[in-house]
Amino acid sequence: MTTSGHTLEVRSLTKRFGSVLAVDDLSFTVAPGRVTGFLGPNGAGKTTTLRILLGLVRPTSGQATIGGRRYADLADPLHTVGASLEATGFHPGRSARNHLRVQAATSGVPTSRVDEILAQVGLAEAAGRRVGGYSMGMRQRLALATALLGDPPVLLFDEPANGLDPEGIVWLRGFLRFLAGQGRTVLVSSHVLSEVRQTVDDVVIIAQGRLIRQAPLADLEEAETALVRSPTPERLAEALTAAGMHISPDRDGLLRVAGADTAQVGAAAFRAGIELHELRARDSDLEAVFLSLTSGNGGNEAAEPAPGDTPPPGSPDAGRPDSPGQEVPR
Amino acid sequence: MIRLIRAELLKFATTRLWWGMLIGVVTISALSAAATAALAGSTVQGTSTPGLEDPAVLRGIYAGGLSITYMLTLAIGIIAMAGEYRHETMTATVLAAPRRQHVVVAKLAALTVIGGGYGVAMVATGVLVGLPVILGRGGSPHLTQDGIPRALALAVLAVALWAILGLGIGTLIRNQVVALLVTIGIVSIAEPIITYLLQLAEWGSVARFLPGTATGALVTPVTDSGGVSFSYLPWWGGALMLFGYAVVSGGIGAALTLRRDIS
Repeated sequence: MTTSGHTLEVRSLTKRFGSVLAVDDLSFTVAPGRVTGFLGPNGAGKTTTLRILLGLVRPTSGQATIGGRRYADLADPLHTVGASLEATGFHPGRSARNHLRVQAATSGVPTSRVDEILAQVGLAEAAGRRVGGYSMGMRQRLALATALLGDPPVLLFDEPANGLDPEGIVWLRGFLRFLAGQGRTVLVSSHVLSEVRQTVDDVVIIAQGRLIRQAPLADLEEAETALVRSPTPERLAEALTAAGMHISPDRDGLLRVAGADTAQVGAAAFRAGIELHELRARDSDLEAVFLSLTSGNGGNEAAEPAPGDTPPPGSPDAGRPDSPGQEVPR
Repeated sequence: MIRLIRAELLKFATTRLWWGMLIGVVTISALSAAATAALAGSTVQGTSTPGLEDPAVLRGIYAGGLSITYMLTLAIGIIAMAGEYRHETMTATVLAAPRRQHVVVAKLAALTVIGGGYGVAMVATGVLVGLPVILGRGGSPHLTQDGIPRALALAVLAVALWAILGLGIGTLIRNQVVALLVTIGIVSIAEPIITYLLQLAEWGSVARFLPGTATGALVTPVTDSGGVSFSYLPWWGGALMLFGYAVVSGGIGAALTLRRDIS
């Protein structure tokens, strides 16, 4: 099905498990034809939200709809929504092909489609083997295959990159882009921003069950940052502040200058006659933004990522040097 | 609905459980039929046991695997539900059929078919193995008289009802291993001991209503053996009791499945 996807809508969603508030008055929408990253630290409520969207968990209040309908009210769920939740949910004694045949049987999907999808996710050769012997990456591929079985316009993936090798992650990125390019609605959860930043168009960031920010990824990336080192950091700080720049201390005596490029910083230092030992651009500080957004302050107001924000206390890694490939699990 | 039932049957057919269970049913039924047929009428500790001329003995031969077979289908019923939680396949199951009452009905239907299948295998084995031994000892098989056809049909039904009974237990106790151990422990150890004690205390009228004894009543078995006499409900009473147990258990399973969060 290459027709357009459906809009997902989460409205005032709250879920309480005993004394734990897993999802707290959460509202956001997910648009078709785009890949939306659903981000937040472990335990932020991502999986619970997805499970409510899928009718597996009953919300305490609020609602989550797919194209305006609750999952349970969908006429033909597997042809409307495909979901992979973790890479579990397979009987270890059943082969991948039989797992898909069981799912296919519930929705009148022909067996030929089972073989087709197995080939598409690269499991054709292992399809007859029992899933118990599968690697984590193979299970992820099988989970994707399960989601895609009914060729649905809406796809929900919970941490699909877990357990994939680097090659698999590259493959997954291309695959998600391909799916969104067909007009489908694609929602991908992750606790690691760097994992999805090359893939997603939009982000929905939550922490402690609350919405922190929903925005196009580009909006988060725009804050440009330069790193600068000088033997006289106090004078440099004075000069840059006088030039209207926001600075904050980074590690190893580096100063972090937000909202300015290296040319502007260099010019300001030159005018003030300050010696520089290091000056470099830092590509967008997305991971730090993500960490500062999601750490500690769950409040919406405090979460506006003003350029040049000092890293909040308790988040020593927020100013970590540019290493987008290394995430800080929190 | 037909699709969901077919999917449930396919689930059962695509793991190794089904043929392991089938081997168990056939083996037990064959051994029990052969042993009962060969030893009927012999003298044990000075008391003679009923011989092949007693129709109750014949029913016992043909449905000899009953007590083990119903325990195995009980296990199948438990696994059909608890296994879904154990391997977290419940998620996929409910995603495919978000109206969960359909899932429960499909499982009940599939378990009836599966249980019935094992019941037929049990009776067929009992007859095939028992018959030559009976004939060899000069007995007469009475396959179409003395309530034997009814008893065998009811035995098949009982085996199917036990599978349904398992469904409720598997929903109630989601830990599959615990569910199996507890249930098999109750059915195979606790209930026979309780029944025996009740019979000794001449409270057999109470014991008649326990699920295992009610099942026994369906084949109208020998009531006096080895000096202790056992009392059973009439066959229809046993059938009603067992049906009641299955309905209660299936109902609990359905109610819990509909309400529960799957996470």
